[in-house]
Amino acid sequence: MAIPQIASGPPAPQPHVTRRTLLKGAAATAAAMGVAALPSASAVVELPAPGTSSGPFRKGKVIDCHAHLTHRSRATWEADDRKLIEAADKLGIDQLCCSTLTPRRPATADGFRQCNRWTADGMRRFPGRVLGYCYVNPGYGREALEEIRHCVGDRGFIGVKLYNEYTCTEPVVFPIVELTIELGVPVLQHASHSHYFVQDQPRMSDGGHLAELARRYPEAMLICAHISGGGDWEWTIKALRHAPNVLLDTSGSVTDEGTVEMAAAVVGVDRLLFGCDSSMTAGIGKIRGADLSAQDKQKILGGNMMRLLRRRKS
Amino acid sequence: MIVDVNAYLGHFAFRRLRHNTAASLLELMDSKRIDKAIVSSASAITYRNAQAGNEEVAEEVRGHSDRLIPFAVINPFYAGWKDDLKICHEEFGMAGLRLYPKWHNYQLSSPCCRELMNAATERGMVISIPIRAEDNRQRSWLLNVPDVPLEEIVELVKAHPKARFILLNGIGYTGCPLGRKDNGLPSNYTIELSRLSAVLANELGQLITNLGAERVMFGTGMPFKYPDPALAKLEVLDASESDKEKIRSRNAMTWLSL
Repeated sequence: MAIPQIASGPPAPQPHVTRRTLLKGAAATAAAMGVAALPSASAVVELPAPGTSSGPFRKGKVIDCHAHLTHRSRATWEADDRKLIEAADKLGIDQLCCSTLTPRRPATADGFRQCNRWTADGMRRFPGRVLGYCYVNPGYGREALEEIRHCVGDRGFIGVKLYNEYTCTEPVVFPIVELTIELGVPVLQHASHSHYFVQDQPRMSDGGHLAELARRYPEAMLICAHISGGGDWEWTIKALRHAPNVLLDTSGSVTDEGTVEMAAAVVGVDRLLFGCDSSMTAGIGKIRGADLSAQDKQKILGGNMMRLLRRRKS
Repeated sequence: MIVDVNAYLGHFAFRRLRHNTAASLLELMDSKRIDKAIVSSASAITYRNAQAGNEEVAEEVRGHSDRLIPFAVINPFYAGWKDDLKICHEEFGMAGLRLYPKWHNYQLSSPCCRELMNAATERGMVISIPIRAEDNRQRSWLLNVPDVPLEEIVELVKAHPKARFILLNGIGYTGCPLGRKDNGLPSNYTIELSRLSAVLANELGQLITNLGAERVMFGTGMPFKYPDPALAKLEVLDASESDKEKIRSRNAMTWLSL
């Protein structure tokens, strides 16, 4: 089913070939051929949303840099995972970089290993659609490092997800970052900055912490999670201006007008990564709505993440 | 036709807004093919005298009444609110209200507020209530304004069955009576979609099932928010074209007699 254009006064445009149509078509063809159902993104041409760019443009791959599979303690996990892929289909998202998190933190070593097994299973259930982040609690030292080597080296995970067990500037985190440098993979760091103490996340990292970590490890590829995740996004963007090896993930439920444009102006469009973190229409909508060129939007939607993934060393 | 029931003009105290003049908002609306928008003063959220914000909006929308529908921000605990209501309705042609009980520090159940509800209802004005102005996690260090609890809205719609309410910037309706089927509440309220999910949990679809498409309205929150996420919700919503048309414009047109 094609996504209809919403029209007002002027005659409704003829239904155009959408990314969704092409995705479904590609999936059917691929399934018939017995191969992974990942569309050839370079073949897709899509009309831009009204008012967002000057004409049709060639669209590349769209990668959600911040997604989650459902923990299996939830009875509906399988249906929930399927809904995530269906939502991605509807919104033209080709790939989702997923982690599975323990319901409660701090995660135990058994807890994060179990989550990562499920993420690996998700990569098998949705081949080519789900890319895996290895989630660890840095407090487990050697076990955390072994898990990262196993997930990245043997299972093909694309990076490491760190949550709020430790602030990212604590020394316990350093060996994790050093290993990601060795492997050539990014770290997606949960982060937010509020002007009050967040009681339930006392070791929350923010853009300032990430900038400090980036100065210590200029070779690291760090991603500041969900700049639209509820904290003061203007503060976060400004805190990261002089941290060139930190990329900003645009995900989060907040859709404040001007966020993406300010981020592009302050840190540059090459450092922005499209993400949803389960806020799907918010994630896509803020990129559609941003007053940027089609080329810049494509960098954010997938080009920059592709560039990051190509730096993998093994 | 698209009618946005959740738009604003003017400045907000804690963040610079773009597209916040009539001219620039209309330009944004044109680019998104949004035909009409209900607008109120963003400044009046934090002005002590909200009427100054209403005056600014009245001035801004002059000459654009075919597309910008002004609503008044009234604080029923501020001196002269009855005069302000009369001026906003009769002189400024404001067809409804936007109320900020938490920002203006009053109870929806207070006698003054009930008096305002009754006065607005007698005038045939629609009463809209933003559950929040912005995400509380990004609040200034100066203040901590909570969202309006949905339980308070439940009591409000029960207490004023003849009033008509539009609930803006809310979420979690299906977790309380407001969004449940056969909830025993009067059908005197509609729910605006800008924060509702249209995929995954799909609260928007659930509300249509539980309450009917007649009870949901399109809104964006612009220029606080990008309009595109709300437009994307309509695109991906699994509903009939007839239901989408109601949400997009027909419900608002009916309520506002446009």
